[in-house]
Amino acid sequence: MQEPDGRFAFDFYPVQSPEQTRIHPFFENLKQGRLTTTKCERCGALLWQPRVVCPKCNGDAMEWVDLPKDGTLYAFTAVMAGAPLGMEKDVPFVVAVVQLDGIPLKVVARVDGAKYEDLRMGDPVALRVIELPDGRAWFRFVPKR
Amino acid sequence: MRKVAIVGTGMTKWGVRSATYKELVQEAGKDLFDDVRNLEKRDVDSLFVGSALVDRLAFQAYPAPIVAEQLGLTPTRMAMRTEMACVSGQSAIRVAYASIASGLSDVAVVVGAEKMNIPSFPEIQASMACVLDREWDGVNGLNAPPYFALVAQRHMHEYGTTEEQMAEVSVKNHDYAATNPTAHFPKRVTREKVLGSPKIAPPLKLLDCSGITDGAAAVLMTHGDAAKRYTDTPVFVEGLGQALSGSLVVNLESLTTWLPLKRAAADAFKMAGVTVHDMDLAETHDCFTISEIMEYEDLGLCPKGEGGRFAMEGQSRIGGELPTNLRGGLLGCGHPLGATGVAQAIEVTRQFKAQVPKERYVGGEWGLCHNLSGNANNHAVMVLRRGG
Repeated sequence: MQEPDGRFAFDFYPVQSPEQTRIHPFFENLKQGRLTTTKCERCGALLWQPRVVCPKCNGDAMEWVDLPKDGTLYAFTAVMAGAPLGMEKDVPFVVAVVQLDGIPLKVVARVDGAKYEDLRMGDPVALRVIELPDGRAWFRFVPKR
Repeated sequence: MRKVAIVGTGMTKWGVRSATYKELVQEAGKDLFDDVRNLEKRDVDSLFVGSALVDRLAFQAYPAPIVAEQLGLTPTRMAMRTEMACVSGQSAIRVAYASIASGLSDVAVVVGAEKMNIPSFPEIQASMACVLDREWDGVNGLNAPPYFALVAQRHMHEYGTTEEQMAEVSVKNHDYAATNPTAHFPKRVTREKVLGSPKIAPPLKLLDCSGITDGAAAVLMTHGDAAKRYTDTPVFVEGLGQALSGSLVVNLESLTTWLPLKRAAADAFKMAGVTVHDMDLAETHDCFTISEIMEYEDLGLCPKGEGGRFAMEGQSRIGGELPTNLRGGLLGCGHPLGATGVAQAIEVTRQFKAQVPKERYVGGEWGLCHNLSGNANNHAVMVLRRGG
């Protein structure tokens, strides 16, 4: 739904400021080119997405840790039709499950700079941070060539 | 716990309908009340409404009172909306079951309804993408087709499943949809047409995907002692199972084995005292062709990884191991989210009552209904038995 002046009342991207979310360090780190998440100080669980309470042990003391910026394509496809509002102009675009290097964690992200047809499972990719028009940040990946 | 039966059914025509959410509800209600004998509307003490995206696509929150008014009902025991995305319809039946079995309700109307088609196609897709975790999955353009495309790619990689095998599921379900005048797509398609249809999210093509469809469906449910007042052939809910895992795609236990389906099916069969091999027909959630292939596997109809072969051999057609999706499935009927689970129960009921065209008549005594929602993180299985 749009407001009369064309602004979206909501969009897909998370709210990011300290006034809006307790996981604002994720976005501040992202703007510095770092992909981070929370690790539970009590039980040591690495949590994705970043959390304020550990779903495993109920601990609420969290440490911010850096994640690998490199990974490989575990699965991927391309949105060739039927994109959600706000993403229609990007079609076609690649979306993937990326296996991060060296740790048991995968993330979902778009892959920029590649056509679906040119990608293969297992291809190496690297983190790419984007800035949204309103200054918020988000992450994608690009193929390493 | 009391026995619980489905004793009446009502369907609308499904498709891109020139009708609103409320009008679809009225049509399903008319078909239901015309179907049932000896029913006074004041006897309906409970109402359960399965609608997933009514807030966004009909811009209407709190639909249960809307539906009550459209149908002329004034429930005095239990009334609510059930929302579990694509499982919303079966959830409504499930909650009605619980309420009737416990004695809280005696006579319940269950309505599944969805108005999906609005002028802005990107708005529809945005609403669907919000079924996933909007901030971490949907934000990346992940939606139903691309998510199930990832599943299909992994299944092809791990088990050698082919696009031809997936296409065969679409061919079968369109064959049966051609016998169903309420279906959105009541036309046969060839395997070549499926394989040549436009790419949506490869390897999935348009005819691997269920449609964006408006429609409603309704059933009347009551307890075993009252069932014969309304019908000669009550259909008893004998088993129910549901299992839900988390939400984020990367935190699912597996992309290619639906563990919640295995758990839900095990519970439903145990409760009913039967196995999948006792089923005479099944309605499974073929939101995409790959889904039905994985459902054969995870319901235990064939070994893991052989769902594609199962389809190619015709084992899910009439005359095969288990006739599946005889009304045409989601692929042939379309998928008005909250209505789908109710329409599946209606197909099984009408099969048992020999109210379906002979081209797809199987009848029998035992039927299975299965739905999944979101990124297949939630599965519900229901086992039905012909009474009377």
